[in-house]
Amino acid sequence: MSKTGSPPGISRRRTVGALAGAGLSLPIILSPVRGNSQARTEITLAIWGDKGSVTAYENVIAKYKTVRPDVAVKFEVTPFGQYYQQIDTRLAGRQAPDLFRVEFQVVGRYARSRALMDLTPHLPADFGSAFPAAFWQAVNLDGRTFAIPQNTDTLAVFYNVDIFNRLGIRIPAGLAESWSWAEFMDIARLLRARGGVRYSFAMLWQNSQAYRWLPFLYQHGGQLLSNDLKTPEIESAKGIETIAWTQNWFKEGLVPPNTAVKSNEQPQALFANGTLGMYIGGDWQMPYLDQNSPDVRWNATYMPRDVAMASDLGGSCTAVWRETRNPEAVMDFLKFLTSETVQRDFTLDGQFLPVRSALIDGKLAYASRRDARKVFLEQATTVPPHLVQTVVLPSFSRINQRLADQLDLAFTSGQSAELTAKNIGATISTILRT
Amino acid sequence: MAAAPRRPGSPGNGLRRRVFRIRRSSPQGLVPYIFIAPNLLLFSLFMLFPLCYAMFISLHDWDLVGDTSFAGLANYSRLVTDPLFWTALRQTLLYAGGAVPASLALGMLAAVGLNQRMPGRIFMRSIFFMPVVVSGVATAVIASWLFNDNYGVINALLERAGLSRVNWLSSPSWALPSLIITTLWLRVGFCMIIYLAALQSIPRTYYEAARIDGASALQQFIHITWPLLRPATFLLLIINVIYSFHVFDLVFVMTGGGPGFSTTVLVQYIFNLAFASSEMGYASAMGIALYALILAFTVLQWLAGRRSEVAMGGG
Repeated sequence: MSKTGSPPGISRRRTVGALAGAGLSLPIILSPVRGNSQARTEITLAIWGDKGSVTAYENVIAKYKTVRPDVAVKFEVTPFGQYYQQIDTRLAGRQAPDLFRVEFQVVGRYARSRALMDLTPHLPADFGSAFPAAFWQAVNLDGRTFAIPQNTDTLAVFYNVDIFNRLGIRIPAGLAESWSWAEFMDIARLLRARGGVRYSFAMLWQNSQAYRWLPFLYQHGGQLLSNDLKTPEIESAKGIETIAWTQNWFKEGLVPPNTAVKSNEQPQALFANGTLGMYIGGDWQMPYLDQNSPDVRWNATYMPRDVAMASDLGGSCTAVWRETRNPEAVMDFLKFLTSETVQRDFTLDGQFLPVRSALIDGKLAYASRRDARKVFLEQATTVPPHLVQTVVLPSFSRINQRLADQLDLAFTSGQSAELTAKNIGATISTILRT
Repeated sequence: MAAAPRRPGSPGNGLRRRVFRIRRSSPQGLVPYIFIAPNLLLFSLFMLFPLCYAMFISLHDWDLVGDTSFAGLANYSRLVTDPLFWTALRQTLLYAGGAVPASLALGMLAAVGLNQRMPGRIFMRSIFFMPVVVSGVATAVIASWLFNDNYGVINALLERAGLSRVNWLSSPSWALPSLIITTLWLRVGFCMIIYLAALQSIPRTYYEAARIDGASALQQFIHITWPLLRPATFLLLIINVIYSFHVFDLVFVMTGGGPGFSTTVLVQYIFNLAFASSEMGYASAMGIALYALILAFTVLQWLAGRRSEVAMGGG
């Protein structure tokens, strides 16, 4: 007989067993009460992003919930600094999110490593025609589609309105009138001499984002790789001259020495606190500048040009993990996320630049800074197609790291432009061979 | 139903014999093994298994995401011919050479000072020890603000004093010294605590006898304190050298390995290879090389320490 006071004939073991059985069967008993006999599907979406990006994604997920209440989208936000490290580790451990945000530059590497689901069979044949060729080309590898473009961003020049007005500096009225390299350097020297700022300008390429240096190479008529992308072309006169030109920014003291490629400095903060007169940065930094530069009146103008105009391919797309357990639900959400109506709202909520041709051509009603956004939208049309082909190569992450190492040596340690070009060329040859 | 009799040599008998042997050889029986079992399990899971796996990966080409392909010893032969590996090793040795002796010397100085009777002694000890309990990343962020070229407190103070600004983190000549100074801030407190414990274990009678014999304070330090602090110094030397060879958080946050390669230490280079270039096989080979290097240093230090202990005992 039990000593614990259980009813006669029921042992402690049987009592525990009965309770465990009841616990296990509880969800089954309660499931009809929820009024939905269909099992709830959960999919995971991983992103990086600032407050604006997070809000934009949250709004999309809230809208999707009204359309598909049976699918729960779990939302994970990781700081950009650790983002790819986490995604890579989770892919290696087969614990990856079902969908994840990726930059255009990274799609090729993931696709080549067979980490991404081939989206081609799930999309209509003409799906790609809704996007400009450069963006669509960036998410395709060997004729297969591995991600869908979500938003874009690019570089232009922010300037301090009061200082420019005081010095009477000409602001280009349109893309065709953008400053030449010589004009840009004259303005930079004028700012240093009479602008009342510690440094003239800074460029956004820190944390080894060396690919942002490439637009200058294309502006000067050079390119990193040959037309067939199989050999380096950086050792040309154009390549050496571009390295020397950007190296000169540091030699003349026009840019802060701690804003070289491998530093961790945040140049937007230096522009916001009045240390700089100009700043070559991205459109996604406008909300930051609005919030953090109460004493600096700013606007944006076009990137300088030499023999050509060029800017950077920025932005992101959405990819699907190859081993997702819910491919149908994931594709349904992905199509919703990248549909024209949702992308319009997403672009406005996050203050992004659009990637769909219909949204680029149409006038989006941004809540603020419409003039500056117009500059970035125009500038985004100058991204060279060959630059896109180069940065989406599966091996580009390795090339980018070596490019960062060598440019940093040129900018901070006095390595000559010739030797820098030679070293970059040699390392690219090795990477392309393997 | 009766259980079948076990045959001699069956697995059950063998296990019983081994357990019996353990019980007979140790008066506590299995108790010590039970006590160390959790630690052994965690060590195997988080140290031994990753180490063996890193050795396996170092023999392969792997980009972390895709499939592995066997590469034999190619990653190790690449390591020997990679100039960047030697640069990173040199910078690591320079960093260790700057940070370790200075940490020990300043730690000992602080311990000797704070071992004296003085007002606010406990408060001062806490001040010295505080950076040890703060996260390395948080310390690195604070240090990168202090040393910032443009808005750093140190440059502002230099300017106030009429001196010129220094490009602490953007000059190849100053970046490594800045890291070493930050390391001292982090490590001196730890060295001080170990030295303080060692100082307090020295019997006061040694000093009283020395004073009676007319020994000066310096002579007391040289002939009593310093020899009796040798085991603590040996321990701190090993710990600090291992720390210096492993340093990553400070470098990653403060300089990212730049300017140029002036602060590219081995672990920073391994991180770049693994997560920026996605060369996990080569990064693992370098990790194994670093492991071998630290192991060799530790064994050498242990042998040297044992020899000096024997010499002291013999004397």
